Amino acid sequence: MKKLMLGNEAVARGAWEAGVAFGSGYPGTPSTEILEALIHYDDVLVQWAPNEKVGYEVVMGATLAGKRAIATMKHVGLNVAADPFFSSSYMGVNGGLVVVSADDPAMHSSQDEQDNRYLAKAAKVVMVEPSDVEESRWMTKEAFALSEELDTPVLLRMTTRVCHQTGITFPEDRITPPEKAFVKDISKYVLLPGHAKQRRHKVEERLNKAREIGNTSDRWSPIINPGKKIGVITSGVAFGYVLEVMGEEASILKLGITNPLPLERMKKFAGSVETLFVVEELEPYIEEALKAMGIKVKGSELRPYTGELDLKSVEKMLKGTESVKVTVDLSDAKINNRPPTLCPGCSHRGMFTTFRDMGLRVMGDIGCYTLGAVNPLKAMDSCMCMGASVGMAEGLDRFCGEKERGKTIGVIGDSTFFHSGITGLIDMVVNRSKATLVILDNSLTAMTGGQPHPGTGMDIKGMAAPKLDLVEICHAVGVKRVRVIDPYKLDEVKAALEEELAAEEVSVIIAKAPCVLGFKKKFNEPVEVTIEKCIRCGKCIRVGCMAIGEKDGYPDIDENLCTGCGVCVQFCQDGALNFRKKK
Amino acid sequence: MKITNIMLSGVGGQGILTSGRILALAAIDAGLDVKMSEVHGMSQRGGNVDSHIRIGEKVPSSLIPKGGADYLISFEMMEALRYMDYLKPDGKAYVSKLKITPLSSNLKKGGSYPENIEEMIVKKAPSVKLIDAESVAKELGDIRMVNIILLGALSKDIKVLGRANFENAIRERFNKKVVDLCLKAFERGMENG
Repeated sequence: MKKLMLGNEAVARGAWEAGVAFGSGYPGTPSTEILEALIHYDDVLVQWAPNEKVGYEVVMGATLAGKRAIATMKHVGLNVAADPFFSSSYMGVNGGLVVVSADDPAMHSSQDEQDNRYLAKAAKVVMVEPSDVEESRWMTKEAFALSEELDTPVLLRMTTRVCHQTGITFPEDRITPPEKAFVKDISKYVLLPGHAKQRRHKVEERLNKAREIGNTSDRWSPIINPGKKIGVITSGVAFGYVLEVMGEEASILKLGITNPLPLERMKKFAGSVETLFVVEELEPYIEEALKAMGIKVKGSELRPYTGELDLKSVEKMLKGTESVKVTVDLSDAKINNRPPTLCPGCSHRGMFTTFRDMGLRVMGDIGCYTLGAVNPLKAMDSCMCMGASVGMAEGLDRFCGEKERGKTIGVIGDSTFFHSGITGLIDMVVNRSKATLVILDNSLTAMTGGQPHPGTGMDIKGMAAPKLDLVEICHAVGVKRVRVIDPYKLDEVKAALEEELAAEEVSVIIAKAPCVLGFKKKFNEPVEVTIEKCIRCGKCIRVGCMAIGEKDGYPDIDENLCTGCGVCVQFCQDGALNFRKKK
Repeated sequence: MKITNIMLSGVGGQGILTSGRILALAAIDAGLDVKMSEVHGMSQRGGNVDSHIRIGEKVPSSLIPKGGADYLISFEMMEALRYMDYLKPDGKAYVSKLKITPLSSNLKKGGSYPENIEEMIVKKAPSVKLIDAESVAKELGDIRMVNIILLGALSKDIKVLGRANFENAIRERFNKKVVDLCLKAFERGMENG
């Protein structure tokens, strides 16, 4: 049976077919749809974790119980889960464990372009790399078998163009994996140095076994069109470009298991061709291994070193030609950027306009509200990684000098606070910081599409779940000054910031209002412009709302987009903006 | 290895991903291979969105190279212009006559939307079909039909997919309540194509 699926849906399908009992992870583009697809299958428990580390650890516990389990995350999420990921390599598994790292070459929605193939190598776990949708399905399925056979977590390395590729799959039935139960084995599962030293050898033995599979398996390491003069070694999404560019003109060794690399097969293949290329995205991972064996190879010097590959760059690399040319010249066309912006009615808008107008130094964080950094809000001074706003605000506030005190805030979303902000806040308290933290609480993980988090009161399937209270958490970790404000009341926002910034101790301001997109909220009748009263000061334009455009030099409100949130109305000092009267 | 390349472009929230899915289902219905590529995440935040759809006997990869699109379907005029350089010299474009103004940051700059946009589009792709899909959709009573209308216009020209393939895809993708309306919208699109 043929079925159209997204790459991420195919991963979920493959996991289900393998008899997976449990899935956990934290949302992150481009990985999010895997767990969201897995909830539609029977006999699988699926849950969001507060962060990737916890998700991985719960999955590890499930495998110790003998179940097959999957953890999903984006590439930087694996950094958060790196501690259990590295150590679990030494422990091995009981039931099969697959961990998905969804890498983001070209950084479509990420802060870095790290190539997580190196993490698999450093952690010494087996890694598989699908190149399209159907491979996403069967490789996930087979990864569970590899995990049990080789006693290893398996890293399933996806990339954006595989995760978000839609294509044809050939789904199979669910199998019943071998029945297993928890087995007490402290030499394996308690990583005391003495035990770890023993396990260290097992790790190498397992990698040798895995290498042998790659060396001998035509399924994992197929050679397409053998016997040609030109040879290409490739893996992942790059395979499709190579196949399309070269057709039958080259022999292709396609690697499905990329840690450990099947060095013998690669060497033999290299010896069978006159010219050898390596085509891979991002780092020269395969290329380095070939060069270390003294094999002459053409690779990264011929391709872009950053970003994604495509048909053009691969054709140029392999043939030196460009058969598809751009014939439409757009150099004389005025095309403005259309950057993403906070939604009309978003509760973050009034906060960032206030930060901007107060001239605050804002240590930001990861979420929708990172859009507060761009024009016309421009009210964020740093955004590094999940949870960093808290510690960075503490550090900056401490060392910016007495004169500059009272200007620094940390700004973090609710989901990000649960993910990794709480420990930062504990640090602020116990080390007697005087900084102020603002938690933007919209009750969802909004940027990735509105997933629930521990403060939502709902699980991944939309069922009622325990709901954690941010005020109680802040009090529990020792913050005395905690206040909840309405982010749509700009006077209240400003007053709260002034008071808390002046305080000689840590304080937390919780700006609480539900995500306008997730909860489909309309506040009021749309705003209308009274042209006669407008002095064209541009203040309303600078709140950065998509519903406020410009017509003949005056603001123009799109009544279909306007939610009537009233932030722009509060900025208008000449009474030109008012809510339309109810009809 | 002949592959038909269809590029979709527009603004987040316009139903671009749904349109791509219908094309892909139509390709399967026609017994063909299909690969589609898109980027999720920012699509609901008013940013520009595209989707690459490639249809053929065998499709190895999923991204359309610039200059390689047989067809461009755009849901908004500035987003049509932005993606015009994806078209082959003999490529065809189907553009909804809709303007969505991007966020402006200054009242005095004289607007953030290109003037004479229709002229520019015609200049860049003389064979373009500018379609007032919004009006047709409003006549049908559902503004969301814009994407089906544009697919109807495309269906008159695209050789690898037949009308029945589109109709079967629509039946598979939508629930019964709206299927009839979609089929009507599709037909109106063909009339406008």
